[in-house]
Amino acid sequence: MYGNAYVDPENKIVNSITANEDPIKLAEFESRIAAGDKIEPMDWMPAEYKKQLVRMIEQHAHSEIIGALPEGTWITRAPGFRRKLALMAKVQDEIGHGQLLYSAAETLGKSREAMTNDLITGKSKYSNVFNYPAKTWADSAVIAWLIDAGAIVNQLANSKGSYGPYCRALDRICAEESFHLKYGHDNVVFLATGTPVQRAMVQDALNRWWEPIMHFFGPPDKESIHTATLMRWKVKMGSNDDMRNMFLDMYVPKIWDLGLTLPDPNLHKNEETGRWEYTEPNWEVFKQVINGNGPCNKERLAVRRKAEENGRWVRKALAKPTEKYVIPLS
Amino acid sequence: MNIVSIDPRVNRSQIDENTQEGIANPLEHFQTYEVFEQKKRGTHHIHVGSVHAPSAEMAMIFAKEQYSRRGQCVNLWVVKTADVFATEYEDSDIFDTISDKTYREPEAYKVIDRIQAFKERQKTN
Amino acid sequence: MEFTDKHVQGLKDLLYKMADDLLIIGHRNSEWTGLGPVLEEDIAFSSMAQDKVGQSLALYEILHQLGESDPDTVAFTRNAPQFHCSQLVELPIGEYDFSLVRHFFFDHAEAIRFDMLATTVVEPLQMVAKKFRGEIKYHTMHADIWMKQLGESEEAKMRIQNTINEVFPYALGMFELSDFEAELQEAGIFDGEFALREKWLNKVVPLLESFGYTVPNAQTIIPEFGGRKGQHTEYLQPLLDEMTEVFAIDPGADW
Repeated sequence: MYGNAYVDPENKIVNSITANEDPIKLAEFESRIAAGDKIEPMDWMPAEYKKQLVRMIEQHAHSEIIGALPEGTWITRAPGFRRKLALMAKVQDEIGHGQLLYSAAETLGKSREAMTNDLITGKSKYSNVFNYPAKTWADSAVIAWLIDAGAIVNQLANSKGSYGPYCRALDRICAEESFHLKYGHDNVVFLATGTPVQRAMVQDALNRWWEPIMHFFGPPDKESIHTATLMRWKVKMGSNDDMRNMFLDMYVPKIWDLGLTLPDPNLHKNEETGRWEYTEPNWEVFKQVINGNGPCNKERLAVRRKAEENGRWVRKALAKPTEKYVIPLS
Repeated sequence: MNIVSIDPRVNRSQIDENTQEGIANPLEHFQTYEVFEQKKRGTHHIHVGSVHAPSAEMAMIFAKEQYSRRGQCVNLWVVKTADVFATEYEDSDIFDTISDKTYREPEAYKVIDRIQAFKERQKTN
Repeated sequence: MEFTDKHVQGLKDLLYKMADDLLIIGHRNSEWTGLGPVLEEDIAFSSMAQDKVGQSLALYEILHQLGESDPDTVAFTRNAPQFHCSQLVELPIGEYDFSLVRHFFFDHAEAIRFDMLATTVVEPLQMVAKKFRGEIKYHTMHADIWMKQLGESEEAKMRIQNTINEVFPYALGMFELSDFEAELQEAGIFDGEFALREKWLNKVVPLLESFGYTVPNAQTIIPEFGGRKGQHTEYLQPLLDEMTEVFAIDPGADW
């Protein structure tokens, strides 16, 4: 699962992001990308390309690991074998995706330990949507359907990006995500078409999760030279608004089809422009939550810290003194 | 102050919400091994990714679940990343072949006209 | 051989205890998802938990064919006194050494039990036993490697040794005799808990000793019995309450 790389407005990319790069190498690099070629770990790459990629892939990895917490809370309470087994498989997949993504980020030279530490100290971000609590079983169903759907929109786009290891990881991830989406949808359908209690549970979950879902694709992009460069380098594959619109187009009709409502009276598709219109989500709230003031931020990081600490004796016991660190190949 | 969560696992773990623990030391998560998977007998082993592990046996155990829990596999290899010797991308031009080495191409060998001409000569003799 | 009522009762008793063991240990092990000591190990352990729950489902399905209720009803509506799992599997996950030692003891017993059942006259059970062979092989491989590698560190070895001593009486509790040992054997259904226990001891004791551990003397330890007869620790009912929390909202609903 994935949330778009959060670019903190206070931490702007240096004015000319290619100022210090060798112009010949840069031109060669850019023409390769334009031709659809992939960049591999030991290829020459501009410093900013590397920096943005590490941040993006790392955030994605963290999102998978943190995302396993609100979903995992319902594994022990899943109703019935079918749901229990499927949810176990799904959450396990998410941890596996985290592993694939950390490996991809490591090819750029940042160690897993450094990434783990940046996560638990709050230095690195993860998808904001996981800073909210999954209060009921229906919440886990809504997450499995709509958050995974959002993630897939991003992932499919990014799998056509320029960095080899990230694309390969995403191909594997997308294959597994297709079952997640089906499971999530199946789950929501059973609830929405079930007893009055089940219907009320899923409607309530949808009402509470709609704003985080709208936040999922990140704030509206403002046209800037940086976005243009990142898109030319195929690091960013589409604007946040484009991704959001694609998601709405695919999933709002399906939600309405089940007789469920969404808590935005302005939400509709403009038949002339073909774009969805909606009440602009509250981006102040988004900023507050992503900077540590959401309902679950503290809990998420504390749980990760405790898990790491609990595992320390195990890792220490297994360690061999002759180990050397070598950057993974691909 | 312990975290009060809607997650019963978290409550059972009694976690201090202000804990500062958990920071990893360098190499605490071990070195990596590259993983090669053979889908079925008769095919080549293909590289599928890497795992962090403290030993080759552990790497094998981890690789089995991470890379072949779904789909076919009959055999796995794991190799320390440190033991893989790779070429440099900036030397990828050593793999360029010059096009006029037709003596190596099957299509450069055509004799049907020659045989035909020979047969014609034989007839007139 | 024609099965009498007592034979069928014995078979059901066997199936219930196996299925209950697998469901509860799978449930317990799934509590580690996302919280494991190494990312890759987290993935492996969750996978095995899933396998166990899947295996329990296959056994509940045989019970259903024999006239018991459907698996969801059987698993999600009984209370502790009606469960036949050993006390070993219901204990909380503790720290990783506890879960690993439990995994080692339980999975070897499971592997041997299924191996013995590969020749049972009960066809559906025989099929299940053979089907899960590969899965269980991986589970015991995993357990063996962990016990071996942790034993190579002095500190961890001591810790694991203490855990072995603690867990051993509960592990022996897996082999509590049923009321149908004679019937199961004479009908060719199952060679019995005593035979299983012997094979298990012959497997795990030399193995643990080869890793540098010592094993308490099975002849002098008092096993923690009771689970097979519905007598459980204080931990099972809360586990079941949690497991059935959503199902109980409306057991008749389709989830």
